[in-house]
Amino acid sequence: MMWKFEIPATARTPAVTFDFAENHLKLTGESYPEDVTEFYKPVFEALDTYLAKLGKGSCRFDIELIYLNSSSAKAIMMLMDKLDAAAANGASVEVFWYYDREDDTMQELGEEFGEDLANAKFHLEKMAK
Amino acid sequence: MDGRDLFDLRATLQRQGIIFAFSGYMTETVLSGVGEAIKQKLTIDDADTKTLRSVFAVFVEQMQNIIRYSAELAAQSSAADSPLLEIRYGIVTIGQEGNEYVVQAGNLVAHKDVERLRGRLIKIRDMNKEELRALRKEQLRAAPEEGSKGAGLGIMEIARRASKPIEFDFTDVDDCYAFFTLKASV
Repeated sequence: MMWKFEIPATARTPAVTFDFAENHLKLTGESYPEDVTEFYKPVFEALDTYLAKLGKGSCRFDIELIYLNSSSAKAIMMLMDKLDAAAANGASVEVFWYYDREDDTMQELGEEFGEDLANAKFHLEKMAK
Repeated sequence: MDGRDLFDLRATLQRQGIIFAFSGYMTETVLSGVGEAIKQKLTIDDADTKTLRSVFAVFVEQMQNIIRYSAELAAQSSAADSPLLEIRYGIVTIGQEGNEYVVQAGNLVAHKDVERLRGRLIKIRDMNKEELRALRKEQLRAAPEEGSKGAGLGIMEIARRASKPIEFDFTDVDDCYAFFTLKASV
């Protein structure tokens, strides 16, 4: 069992910090990769493997993005769907969406993603300054 | 040599309030580099965070539209085992009009694609923020349109970030192509 999955941030891709041992997963930074599919493929694979074994366990997913482009939004939606599906299967999943208080577009985007979560618990929070 | 031609080009751009202009074959590296310079310039201008992010967001979508969809391209047919090398041509400018930043992009589109694109642009332009939000959510769930390499969401993101309705134009170039311009103010 892999206990951690990490990808360091670049100017165009977020830091991925999946601490599976602590059931704490994070996506931090900016997301406008050259190739969205290529970047998120291994991230989804690691997440799928983890969620498949989560069962009735609990996990927390933090999304702390300053900016994401329109094609990344599709990837984030798929990620949310995976988390919601795990919650539907009995896991206790909490999603925290952090937004910059000076950019209400990111707040609205968080609200939109949150509306679609039927089973996972969603929290909308301001980023710490 | 005579530097006047280049100086005249620069003067024309400056008269229109343009602070950045790039015309040529676009790559993701150009996007990163020019994008970084835009962030720095707006930081120096003391633009607020929301304006800076919105100008940047519109710029990214405009650039990626050209990189993915411009009908003017240079391509190298390669061996079966190596990827096709392909770059597309367009023009992007960022300028100031009064208190607003304006991001304009232009590229060639095939005449056969003009009506479909125009229809989509009119629909998005005439929507209020609520309608745009609903359409975006719907499109995010939908499969990408045929001939689309992205989620088809770029124009909606531009409209959402813009402070007033997007503007666009199609100018006939020849029998095959029109020049498509998209303008967004932030």
